[in-house]
Amino acid sequence: MARSWDKAAVVLCMDVGLAMSNSFPDEESPFELAKKVMTMFVQRQVFAENKDEVALVLFGTDGTENALAAGDQYQNITVHRHLMCPDFDLLEDIESKIQPGSQQADLLDALIVCMDLIQEETLGKKFEKRHIEVFTDLSSPFSRDQLDIIIHNLKKSGISLQFFLPFPIGKQGGTGDRGDGSLLSDHHGPSFPPKGITEQQKEGIQMVKKVMMSLEGEDGLEEIYSFSEALRQLCVFKKTERRSMPWSCQLTIGSNLSIKIVAYKSITQEKVKKCWTVVDARTLKKEAIQKETVYCLNDDDETEVSKEDTIQGFRYGSDIIPFSKVDEEQMKYKSEGKCFSVLGFCRSSQVHMKYFMGNQVLKVFAAKDDEAAAVALSSLIHALDELDMVAVVRYVYNEKTNPQVGVAFPLIKDAYECLVYIQLPFMEDLRQYMFPSLKNNRKCTPTEAQLSAVDALIDSMSLVQKDEEEGTIEDLFPTSKIPNPQFQRLFQVGSVNPAENFRVLVRQKKATFEEASHQLINHIEQFLDTNETLYFMKSMDCIKAFREEAIQFSEEQRFNNFLKALRDKVEVKQLNHFWEIVVHDGVTLITKDEAPGSSVTTEEAKKFLAPKENANADSAAAFEEGGDVDDLLELI
Amino acid sequence: MFESQDEDELTPFDMSIQCIRSVYTNKIISSNRDLLAVVFYGTKKDKNSVNFKNIYVLQELDNPGVKRVQELDKFKGQEGKKYFEDQIGHGSDYSLSEVLWVCANLFSDVQFKMSHKRIMLFTNEDDPHGDDSAKASRARTKAGDLRDTGIFLDLMHLKKRGGFDTSLFYRDVIIAENEDIGIHFEESSKLEDLLRKVRAKETRKRVLSRLKLKLNKDVTLTVGIYNMVQKAYRPPPVRLYRETNEPVKTKTRTFNVNTGSLLLPSDTKRSQTYSHRQIVLEKEETEELKRFDEPGFILIGFKPLMMLKKHHYLRHSLFVYPEESLINGSSTLFSALLTKCLEKEVMAVCRYTPRRNSPPCFVALVPQEEELDDQKIQVAPPGFQLVFLPYADDKRKVPFTEKVMANPEQVDKMKAIVQKLRFKYRSDSFENPVLQQHFRNMEALALDLMEPEQAVDLTLPKTEVMDKRLGSLVDEFKELVYPPDYNPEGKVTKRKKDDESYGSKRPKVELSEEELKAHVSKGTLGKLTVPALKEACRMYGLKGGLKKQELLDVLTEHFQKA
Repeated sequence: MARSWDKAAVVLCMDVGLAMSNSFPDEESPFELAKKVMTMFVQRQVFAENKDEVALVLFGTDGTENALAAGDQYQNITVHRHLMCPDFDLLEDIESKIQPGSQQADLLDALIVCMDLIQEETLGKKFEKRHIEVFTDLSSPFSRDQLDIIIHNLKKSGISLQFFLPFPIGKQGGTGDRGDGSLLSDHHGPSFPPKGITEQQKEGIQMVKKVMMSLEGEDGLEEIYSFSEALRQLCVFKKTERRSMPWSCQLTIGSNLSIKIVAYKSITQEKVKKCWTVVDARTLKKEAIQKETVYCLNDDDETEVSKEDTIQGFRYGSDIIPFSKVDEEQMKYKSEGKCFSVLGFCRSSQVHMKYFMGNQVLKVFAAKDDEAAAVALSSLIHALDELDMVAVVRYVYNEKTNPQVGVAFPLIKDAYECLVYIQLPFMEDLRQYMFPSLKNNRKCTPTEAQLSAVDALIDSMSLVQKDEEEGTIEDLFPTSKIPNPQFQRLFQVGSVNPAENFRVLVRQKKATFEEASHQLINHIEQFLDTNETLYFMKSMDCIKAFREEAIQFSEEQRFNNFLKALRDKVEVKQLNHFWEIVVHDGVTLITKDEAPGSSVTTEEAKKFLAPKENANADSAAAFEEGGDVDDLLELI
Repeated sequence: MFESQDEDELTPFDMSIQCIRSVYTNKIISSNRDLLAVVFYGTKKDKNSVNFKNIYVLQELDNPGVKRVQELDKFKGQEGKKYFEDQIGHGSDYSLSEVLWVCANLFSDVQFKMSHKRIMLFTNEDDPHGDDSAKASRARTKAGDLRDTGIFLDLMHLKKRGGFDTSLFYRDVIIAENEDIGIHFEESSKLEDLLRKVRAKETRKRVLSRLKLKLNKDVTLTVGIYNMVQKAYRPPPVRLYRETNEPVKTKTRTFNVNTGSLLLPSDTKRSQTYSHRQIVLEKEETEELKRFDEPGFILIGFKPLMMLKKHHYLRHSLFVYPEESLINGSSTLFSALLTKCLEKEVMAVCRYTPRRNSPPCFVALVPQEEELDDQKIQVAPPGFQLVFLPYADDKRKVPFTEKVMANPEQVDKMKAIVQKLRFKYRSDSFENPVLQQHFRNMEALALDLMEPEQAVDLTLPKTEVMDKRLGSLVDEFKELVYPPDYNPEGKVTKRKKDDESYGSKRPKVELSEEELKAHVSKGTLGKLTVPALKEACRMYGLKGGLKKQELLDVLTEHFQKA
């Protein structure tokens, strides 16, 4: 949700210098990877629809364009885009406008430009967070003289930093909230120092580490990511974390003891916020549609009655009892306002996890800047921890909400300690089902062989690595660090996976090949009509799928007709860019060699992709009039 | 049934009536579509459709309602006993097979389909037809007939002097189901025992879904998913026609504003707008957007149980139990998996897709061993708890308060406080006061009572008892942790506010036109405070709204024009 207090200013600071384009054969260059990560980030921002503003600063550009440039200072640094809401234009810029430069620029100079930009352009606007994300391979030289001033200024102005590098830097397991097992990739990637890096880069890594350590301490190192890490977990972007509203209250024990507390939601299920609005199929406008609810009697004519002639009632078993809103308001339970009151303490084993309910976890801290409260709460936290007990509390958010009974248990970390509150069920919420015993049941008692097979299965599928010497257990699959694929999916637009759907349809014979290909062609048409690169790639997937399946099902003629028609359409609609992709990927007509039913020779197929002037007149002749959606479909 | 064993004990009859009443009121709250009936046997009078002797149908199968609860109340206590004697009376004889016959008739009189039929027999007579083997054998045959037609028969046996011996008669009558479940109840001497026994039987297990659990490419078993905790809400209101108090139906229709014509679902599409660009999909496509995998579990691997973090709770857990009906041998494999997970203290991490169009999530299957209480009632069934694990997106970084550690003396004092307020938590200790009050209100309105009975709010702390138990401990603790002038109830922020708003600090803002112009041209107007900006707006007679950005816009516009 877009709330002003949660607004952030983000500068994407990307190295486009010479070395960024270097890569090993068959690997994407750091330049391409950085673009990918940025694209993912901006996509996410666009769809998150918050009021965050994003700027883009490039360094290592051939030209220079920034407010600080003078003489030989701050050269080869370009402010590509000033702070503003991200949109599709920015995405397109990243996709196509950013080109690798042939120069090198000082990373620290670029940082200063970014800081200057943030400070100037956020003036007078309220931003909760200011943030710079640096994408670089660290291969350009930099001058250290200003490092301390930079760190000082970053701290002073509350600007946070994140670094994205082509390689992992090998960091120790962190502390605090993120510290429950280090990031996945660290254990698969090379450990420190990464191979094949230059002296300059080593120096760069030291500098980056120093900056992050001075800014955030040990935790700072966790804000240095490798590109592959970032691509895998979009959530690394600091920005996308949602902040919780503080809830201030007093923890009370009896009538005489209270401790000032503040609580935050620490875990709650993030759902896709935006919902689909219903629009008219023809005009695509939602204003054209209205919904109305009518009431009617339960008689044969379904006689309509107006809302005013109805009253509210409730079922009480077999009876329906009229009960007006006013009466209800007057007689209903009233909670007497917010509270966090201890009802009693019990052994922690009595409050089993299976009883946890509700939709949130609260972390309860002592009130800010109140040492007395902090000591009092700390006493409670440690008392509970040492006794292995928990508090059962009554929690009311405010006078309008219903009371809850929940458990508050201690959580002690290196950096902080708190109580964790989770709701518990009321008697009415419990379902006491009984199930047949599995133990003394002859029908389902496993044999020794079965048991040992399961035993072996568990051992072979362990998700942890035990270090016997250090006595530590490492989580190889920390699920709580993996982002929800549902959000990622939202960020691809358009029909979800037409290529895959098509394959399934034809293989499972749920639709005839003809029907399925019709649908697929429709999708391709729609994609192309957008004239956007993102969709071109999707179209390509569809076309490739179509081609493969056509060969499988001896429907080569259908595909060839389609592709020929497509070529003509591309010409009419000026989608040359798209056709280049087709040519580049070498997707051509299905030849005799591939499918016996085809009459196309390899030679002809090659020619088909050649530029139009040289094209075989025969193959195109039949489709001279082509170029419309309907035509394309008719051909099949 | 009407004699109590001890002076202050309830008679078995009283206990049964109270138990039935509680079932009625619970049904009203939880599942008001269920049908209930009450039949007395061994009565003097008789009332039933086939005119059998000694059988009195008090209530036919129907939804529980206020009137029926009131009727049951008449049989409560000493007065109830008298009322029973006057109205119905004790008989000398009965035939259990006839009783079962009457009950079966009640079921067949109901017109619609029932998913579940059950007879609960409340008795403290362990050998009803000891001297009449013909009657006993007829009862056994009848019980068998009921089983064949899908009617369950449960024995709710009550305490009998010398012990209730099920082997005398009932073991042969009640066999079938219980042998499967392997649960043999003890006789109940207390109301709460009886209530638990009844509740365990009367709640019908409803499986949420039956899914495949894939251990690897080749090995799959099927499991059923159950909800053991489910938030109970106040039932939704129904709309009634003012004149007759009869419920009305609601219909929703979609129409086109311009033409007024009704729209069919196919006349609409779904749309979202991002950054001024509209994305339009068919309704089916929006559904498909959510589709990832086929429904089911895919095993990813195992982790030690101790790695499950209590504070990583996402949503209430579910229960997993094998489902033999789809894949044979599921129970055996499940049982092996459960045994080994318990033994090795590991949980299974899986990818779980509950339905076709729902996104997948990570879950931990936490093994749970079967547990029985001293009444041999199952309190924890054998199976796996399905615990949802959060995604990275679900976690939030919270701005934590700096750690200030308490010293051992302070911690010890708090330990003493904690020990004083120790109690045994039971998951059913607390009733929902909101729901309870709602139903009290309903009851009062239904019975035309003047004032509804106030529900006891069990969620309120019993401060008096607590204070008494704590005694001087609270003051001792406060002395240890709070400075003398510290007020833990006071609001820190309030004091601050007072200082600022009423103190002398408030600056009188006056800015020259030059200064303002300079700010506008340099774009540094935002450095000024809101009061300063307001003052500036007032000076030039500009209406600028309340927000800073609005003030800035107005001033910038003014000077740029000028």
